[in-house]
Amino acid sequence: MDTGTILYLISLATMIGLYAILTLGLNLQWGFAGLFNAGIAGFFAVGAYTTSILTTPVTPDHLGGFSLPVPLGILAGVLLSALLGYAVARICLRLKSDYLAIATIGIAEILRLVLKNESWMTNGSRGIAGIPRPFEGMAQPWGELSFLAVVTATVILLYLVIERAWHSPWGRTLRAIRENDEAAEAAGKDVIAYRAQVFALGSAVMGLAGGLMAHYLKFIGPEATEPILTTFLAWVMLIAGGSGNNRGAVLGAFVIWTIWSGTELLTQRLPPDWQTRSSYIRVFLIGLLLQIVLQRFSQGILPERPPQPKRSESPSKPG
Amino acid sequence: MIDWSGLLDFIGFYLIPGLVTGCIYALGAIGVSLLFGILRFAHFAHGDVMTLGGYLALTVVWWLGWPVLAAIPLAAAATALVAVGLDRAFYKPFRRRPTIISVIASFGVMLMLRSAIQLIWGVEPMQYKAGIVPPLVFFDELRVQPRHIWMVGVTVALVLALHILLTRTRIGRAMRAVSDEPDLARVTGISTERVILVTWLVGGALAAVAGIFLGMDSKIDSYMGWDMLLPVFAAAILGGIGNPMGAAAGGLVLGLIEELSTYNWIGEDPLVSPDYKLGIAFAIMVALLIWRPTGLLRGRQF
Amino acid sequence: MLRSLGKFVLAGVAAVVLASTLPARAADDEVKIGLLFDVTGPVANFVPPMLDAAKLAIDQVNAQGGILGGKKLVSIVADTQGSPQVAVDAANKLVNAEKVSVVVGALLSGTTLASAQSVIIPAGVVQISPTATTPVLTGLKDNDWVFRVVPSDATQGPVLAKMLMDKGITRVALTYANNDYAVGIAGTFRDAYKKLGGTITADIRHEEKKSSYRTELAQLAKGKPQALVLIAFAGESGVTIVKEALEGAFFTQFIGTDGLRDKLLIDQIGGDNLKSALFTSPSAPPGTPSLEAFEKAYTAAYQTTKDKLFIQQVYDATFIAALAIEKAGSTDRAKIRDALRDVGSAGGEAVGPGDWKKAVDLIAAGKKITYVGAACPCQFDKNGDVAGTIGEFIIENGSYKQVGVVTP
Repeated sequence: MDTGTILYLISLATMIGLYAILTLGLNLQWGFAGLFNAGIAGFFAVGAYTTSILTTPVTPDHLGGFSLPVPLGILAGVLLSALLGYAVARICLRLKSDYLAIATIGIAEILRLVLKNESWMTNGSRGIAGIPRPFEGMAQPWGELSFLAVVTATVILLYLVIERAWHSPWGRTLRAIRENDEAAEAAGKDVIAYRAQVFALGSAVMGLAGGLMAHYLKFIGPEATEPILTTFLAWVMLIAGGSGNNRGAVLGAFVIWTIWSGTELLTQRLPPDWQTRSSYIRVFLIGLLLQIVLQRFSQGILPERPPQPKRSESPSKPG
Repeated sequence: MIDWSGLLDFIGFYLIPGLVTGCIYALGAIGVSLLFGILRFAHFAHGDVMTLGGYLALTVVWWLGWPVLAAIPLAAAATALVAVGLDRAFYKPFRRRPTIISVIASFGVMLMLRSAIQLIWGVEPMQYKAGIVPPLVFFDELRVQPRHIWMVGVTVALVLALHILLTRTRIGRAMRAVSDEPDLARVTGISTERVILVTWLVGGALAAVAGIFLGMDSKIDSYMGWDMLLPVFAAAILGGIGNPMGAAAGGLVLGLIEELSTYNWIGEDPLVSPDYKLGIAFAIMVALLIWRPTGLLRGRQF
Repeated sequence: MLRSLGKFVLAGVAAVVLASTLPARAADDEVKIGLLFDVTGPVANFVPPMLDAAKLAIDQVNAQGGILGGKKLVSIVADTQGSPQVAVDAANKLVNAEKVSVVVGALLSGTTLASAQSVIIPAGVVQISPTATTPVLTGLKDNDWVFRVVPSDATQGPVLAKMLMDKGITRVALTYANNDYAVGIAGTFRDAYKKLGGTITADIRHEEKKSSYRTELAQLAKGKPQALVLIAFAGESGVTIVKEALEGAFFTQFIGTDGLRDKLLIDQIGGDNLKSALFTSPSAPPGTPSLEAFEKAYTAAYQTTKDKLFIQQVYDATFIAALAIEKAGSTDRAKIRDALRDVGSAGGEAVGPGDWKKAVDLIAAGKKITYVGAACPCQFDKNGDVAGTIGEFIIENGSYKQVGVVTP
């Protein structure tokens, strides 16, 4: 195997890892607490832009010049996302699941609009370039491999920590709340506070994914945070992989990103006359394969946990 | 003295465009609301159903040479049938599963619909009729596009027809029953599948009209429905989820607010910078959800 | 049981897809050029003619004897979907999996920057963007791997301003789309126009893809400007704005840049309604042989108009890439970079669009060639930028006509 193919596989694995982190964050909110966050794009964007602004040198185009080291930038993004998540949770958590979903979409879109319009801060639609990437000075493929190692380590660490938390007293309380929040409330648990904590933690992880992604791409702009490639994709990965399930989250990231990226390798093989159409065929294939995966594995590919309790899935009654 | 010129400007450039945008939102939102009430999931492919309607009308205009307004019934019927087909193929398998799966399936359907449209019709934006249509001029200054009058008129007619359907017909009452009390409806022998069929037909047809109006007012391109999707959802929520009449009202209100928010109510400058015009829908949606999650029109579902 | 079987099937599918990353074609008789285009996404509307333009270049090469001793020149398209994440993935496919010799792309500034910094520069392969106008590309530390054949928007804004002042249009309203192309040009235009003494009565940035711009137009029309300067892509917001402006009698004269100078505008608005419209667009001066050669070949191959956005630039990027490979004599990426500089510098014998055989013969004879492109003389400065001339266009008899060049 030559360097080129190795590099390509590394890049595939890195993207899978970054999306695994994003999906694990989503699962914290959905699997632990049954909270339907459809505004993932917003938290991702906060994490990405924060670290971009903090780690880039001075430029007239946007806020910057702090040139902080990468870990600090990422940490700042994580904290800001956590804060935002906590705030959103406290305000919106009284809402039932579908309403929460729509509220979070609205908040995420407003946030993205602000990031796009306030160009003094973010350079607006032109985006922030020149974001430093860890290990970029190293020769190929060692630089890319090192970055992949960091991402993989993060995924593994997150997975272990989250699994641990699930089995802890805190996790048990959350499960109790998810099963029957009225009983938990009656037992004296501050349901809103617990949910807000989980939501904030999930948002923090999404911010982490955003930050790491910004450093990997070395560029961030409005298109990088648009809902299809963040919110939509994370949800598809989680549900297809096995909703409510950390292993499912990671597996979903692997399967769905492979489908997303790999379908192009197939459509590239079409004869040259098809070149103008091959990209649309590829998108069609992605949608189709998704249906196949969903119908074949309607509980997700790894359905370890029992299905969600009806409460947190079906829409609330009116009023 | 009344500033007639300013008033006519207001009516022509803010009020009427707001009404027109509102009609488009309303027609899309009714479908979303019906589907949510009866099938209990947020249909993310609805925008692309609107796009499909717009393109099918274009095909009718090309093949039969009719003006676009005459093409509406045919295009709407075709879209309604496609909608039923989509349901059979991609949503029916998940009827008994948690609704989140249907939502994810609708994401995939969205991708498939849009790329199919791009493959069939290409990506170049199109028009039903090229060129500029001269407006009707009232009082020397008020310019109104003839198509806008049609659009508002047709929307009103459709909403009235919907109301009659839901309140005076058996199938309409069955729809309300399934939406309000699904278990009771099943027990009393209402055929849920038939209700679902009619819901898709109605929702698909209305979405098609919304897409056609959108195409008439600006242009027809493969992303046009998707670009409307979030405001359409906002309108449905504004009117109370599962309440199609409310959704219609919500659409109108949202359209009006979007256009009127940039009027210079106070002083010379617009109240809301046009940059954030799109954000208005979302801000209202969020505010409403927090303070009044049942929507503007409370009460029974329909 | 069935479930685990399904998992194996899925794993198998994944493996097959990954296995197809290994070069499936014999690399010996083919030379690959990667087309890193934003096929789906925000600019989907204007990509198909660009792909045709690239194909034209490649077909000409193959029809006139092939490349590097008769080998077939092949293009591989990778779609960025308009987003940096997918752009990096797509660039990786082209550069590392398919091992292309040159990358032509991307189209948007964002995807170009992401792919350049993340994949191109570390891997060391030539990237020629046909349309990315961001000034950031000029100063990018790219070890000389990144080039472009379109002038940065630092150029077009001042040129537009000068053209207007020279014509006595001293009072305009300005609206521009909220994307990286329009924001850049609007910025440099605004500064230059004011410096030359012009007045901008209203200055509004608009969002694309909306159906109604009437409220924006109502504000823009205040203050009695002579014309509307509209910096936007025709298919995204330009046509809608012009249409609503004419219907509402807000404006009669429209001034735009290359993003607006699309056949779409004439098709949907009608040439009669645009008699006073003015455009600036990077283009060789009218009557330039290279421009005419390209237009002739394009209309012959595709029976459609040549008035589509950026097709000259895409053609130039692809053709000059092929020339560089031929000049380098191999698919060695570093040699190709040096060869590109050689072909893209003055002093050699002129070779234009379609002159493939002539170029091959000259190279075989050891002579230096200079490519004279359809859109630009394509002589790279030390940053990999080109200067290029900006043409002035009007609409006559239902199509665009270039009436001159604007000298800065």
